[in-house]
Amino acid sequence: MVDGRQDALLAQMRRGTLQYCVLALLASEERYGFDLVRGLADVDGMITSEGTIYPLLSRLRRDGLVESSWRESSTGPPRRYYRLTETGRSSLAEFRLEWRRFRDAVDTLVYERGDR
Amino acid sequence: MTSTADQLVDDYLKELKHELSGVPRARRRELLDEIAGHIADARTSLEDNGDAEIRNLLERLGDPAEIAAEERARSGLVPRRAGAVEILALIGLLVGGFVFVIGWFVGLVLLWVSDAWTTGEKLVGTLVVPGGLATAFVFLLYPASGETCVGESDPATGAFIETCSGGPSALRLALGIALAVFLVVGPLFTTVFLARRMRRVAGAAYQPNPGSA
Repeated sequence: MVDGRQDALLAQMRRGTLQYCVLALLASEERYGFDLVRGLADVDGMITSEGTIYPLLSRLRRDGLVESSWRESSTGPPRRYYRLTETGRSSLAEFRLEWRRFRDAVDTLVYERGDR
Repeated sequence: MTSTADQLVDDYLKELKHELSGVPRARRRELLDEIAGHIADARTSLEDNGDAEIRNLLERLGDPAEIAAEERARSGLVPRRAGAVEILALIGLLVGGFVFVIGWFVGLVLLWVSDAWTTGEKLVGTLVVPGGLATAFVFLLYPASGETCVGESDPATGAFIETCSGGPSALRLALGIALAVFLVVGPLFTTVFLARRMRRVAGAAYQPNPGSA
């Protein structure tokens, strides 16, 4: 059942939702890159190549969903801290509603009516 | 903090830098800084900084080619094998010298104008070999042999005797052949090298980051 095409589909779904997971992680506190990656890695399967988070963060910055500032770190080179902007916050709120609706629709079809 | 571990990190960042050619320089620098910072953070959280741990860390970070592909996808950059500027640059550098020499200079200007290559790659294109194949052609037309021969008939026997002097020594001959081979192979090598390293930015799709802090 799990063939290459299904793998690709799952990867696409992860890729599509990753940005909202990042926004969600930033909703309560600002974080630097490695800290974000740790947060994502705690949830199984959300991120496969950790380095790909940085191109995503750059995109979110350009789109005005997050902003960043460099700060000195006690352990090594300066770190870039990311935090949510107001635009990012409303984008996340909108996604939460849409996602719940989408998930409920799929759940209904796949789990409740799927076997009849 | 063994030196092999540092070497592994160094190699990884170098490979990433190469994969990111075609990405605007400021953004490339920024991304490399962030990845280097990530590695530094990850290393301080390691209990043991051995080679195996570093390899594992870099593996989790992902294939540099994959990160570069993600950067292109997220920023609207798409790799394109060749634009008109790049093709004309390669043709100009290889055979432009035959067109009143100026063709090579046209190729040179196009090479440096294009953002499909890194500065290092452009230097190779410039220095190996100036003039392109035309330089080899000129070299082979005027072999600097310096040899002179005098022929005369022996009045007694009628036989024709030729005496030569000032011919090239074996060393000079060998050097001359090596140089000729270099002058022919060099430009061909450079053309293939540049064609393979070429990366092209897709026009106006890329917008530099306005809100960079």
